[in-house]
Amino acid sequence: MPEPTTLPGRGSDHAPNLGLGARIAVLFAVGGLLVSVGIASATLALTRRQLVEAREETAAAVAVSNATRLSNQLTPESTIEDLPTVADSLTKVEGGQRIIRLGDDWLPAPELDNDDLPLDLLDRMGKRLGGQLVTEVRGEPHVVVGIPLSAFDADYYAVVDLSGITQTLDNLRLVLLGAGAATTVLAALLGAWASRRTLRPLRRVRGAAEAIAGGRLDTRLGPQADPDLDRLSDSFNEMARALEARIHRDARFASDVSHELRSPLTTLMAGVGVLEARRDELSERSRTALDLLVQDLERFNRLINELLEISGYDAGVADLDLTEVNVAQFLEATLAGMDGILLELPDDSRDFVIEADKRRLARVMANLLDNARRYGGGATRVAVAREPTTGDPPTGGEELVIAVEDDGPGVPDGERAAIFDRFSRGSAGGRRGSDDGTGLGLSLVVEDLRLHGGRAGVEDRPDGRPGARFTLRLPLPYLDDTMEGREQ
Amino acid sequence: MGQHLLMTQPSQATTQPATATRILTVEDDERIRTAVRLALEEEGWVVAETANGEQALESFITNGADVVLIDIMLPGIDGFEVCRSIRRLGDVPIIMVTARSDSHDVVAGLEAGADDYLRKPFDPKELSARIRALLRRSRSDESRPTRIEVGGLEILADEGTVRHEGTDIHLTRTEFRLLVELGIAEGRVLSREDLLERVWGYDYFGDGRLVDVHIRRLRTKVEPDPANPRYVMTVRGMGYKLQP
Repeated sequence: MPEPTTLPGRGSDHAPNLGLGARIAVLFAVGGLLVSVGIASATLALTRRQLVEAREETAAAVAVSNATRLSNQLTPESTIEDLPTVADSLTKVEGGQRIIRLGDDWLPAPELDNDDLPLDLLDRMGKRLGGQLVTEVRGEPHVVVGIPLSAFDADYYAVVDLSGITQTLDNLRLVLLGAGAATTVLAALLGAWASRRTLRPLRRVRGAAEAIAGGRLDTRLGPQADPDLDRLSDSFNEMARALEARIHRDARFASDVSHELRSPLTTLMAGVGVLEARRDELSERSRTALDLLVQDLERFNRLINELLEISGYDAGVADLDLTEVNVAQFLEATLAGMDGILLELPDDSRDFVIEADKRRLARVMANLLDNARRYGGGATRVAVAREPTTGDPPTGGEELVIAVEDDGPGVPDGERAAIFDRFSRGSAGGRRGSDDGTGLGLSLVVEDLRLHGGRAGVEDRPDGRPGARFTLRLPLPYLDDTMEGREQ
Repeated sequence: MGQHLLMTQPSQATTQPATATRILTVEDDERIRTAVRLALEEEGWVVAETANGEQALESFITNGADVVLIDIMLPGIDGFEVCRSIRRLGDVPIIMVTARSDSHDVVAGLEAGADDYLRKPFDPKELSARIRALLRRSRSDESRPTRIEVGGLEILADEGTVRHEGTDIHLTRTEFRLLVELGIAEGRVLSREDLLERVWGYDYFGDGRLVDVHIRRLRTKVEPDPANPRYVMTVRGMGYKLQP
């Protein structure tokens, strides 16, 4: 068998074990985070520039007007002592202070003096050039404006504090941070919701794939609203159709081969039947040869029939002819003429009526009894019980359990699953010498029971003695109906 | 089926007088046809072989037969059609032979009027047993009543006739035997298995659909309203009974 081809799946090796849905949600969250960080940064930067520029312009305008007024009020005789009076009449800006130089004297501001002025500006002023700049003064951002009073040997400096703006920006930053966090969370939620919506069709695909794997080969996906998903749906359906066609073709081939063998088998059986009827006319040697023919013809016939059945299961065309079967009557009829088998029926088993395909059920029992004869020295006990359905989760229903026990060596633990496989004969199956089994019996048991919604198993005998106990379990949904049936 | 008939030599069988049982076979495979003829002749029956539906109908119209064996897969007119045509001509027992294992063919064959069916490949002993069961008119049991009256139905077991409120009803032999068995039970319920054994000679494992399809056909003939049976009643989980 060729190695299965696995197409590379991205992330299957190294990605964290996050589902597609979680990944989409995370992606949305990261996107939300990035977008909000971007917007917040831009907002902060713009706001800051706007605020600073506004403050600068105001500071510059006021400084120019103040410098002009100062220039008008000064006289060549003015000294530094006159300045406070003049300066008090000047326009004040919030957070603004002024420093004035007259000759070699300085009129400091209440909290600042000329040492705090930036050297760059002092240099420019030394060249009688005005200027303004934003700089740190005593660790806080300030706008510093310098205007030389050209008529005098004097300079006017305005120092405006920008820390108010910083406060505003800090508040804004907090607000933006909160908004960003909210956006991220919202984006994550949106992502989760979107992924669930997006993945809903994928879940349908998964359901369909599981249905096909479970044997319902005719499962198809309906049309999808989204064109992309519609393509996926089309490809999926195409795959399912090809798979179904392939399986049917294989099964039909097996079925056709078996059918073709039926005609010659009919001739053979009729011909051998004539020879058997005229057995007395044959010589000893011919009789021995005839017996061999008869035995292997029977085995051949059984094999063909079983292959036909199996191809029926494989093609999914095996049908059930359900009729009401009284379990007690059925088992009595099954065991009629067989010696040494104890049939144990519970007291109420006369009422056990199941809906089953009698032919298939008879074959199941025949195969189990045949298996016991072949490998366990013959069945010794057939027991019927009604038990709560064993399953996870418990369904609350009941099932019919028919157990076939023998006194043979039993089935080792390791072989219990494998003996139900086709053409499996277990370790005890080595004795091909006189073995006329087909190797298909137990696999047919499994298939026949599955058609009925039941299953087969093998276990140790409950009494601890050596031997095998084969069980068949069938759901019992019709028990309540039998009473109703009686009253009619 | 433990019955044993006297063996007749084939050479004699072919020259049997008209009293011998005549079996008409329709089978397109020449080897199967010959082998089946040989096997049936071992039982002392006279066999008329035909290879297709047209020949079979011609032979049946000209010579008649006591039992007809029809293969479903035939060239030309198929086995179902042959079966329907022969059924229209008389109530001769018909056995269908099918090579397919699907249930559809079996039911379709029975609906077309077949009394019983066999799957290929079949054991020739089984074929002989089926033919004998269909030929058996009824059990020669002294204790059986010869006239049974159930509601408006009057069954004359020995004459093989049924009347419903004075009007003759035409039944095939199998339908008639089914009705007689239900009538003899006097209103007791007979399970499918009981009926399979008494009418067809099958054991417990016979095909219950034989009973179901024949009951359906019987109803179309004896019931005033076959959809709501008044005489032939189904008892769920148990079987069938005849209700007065």
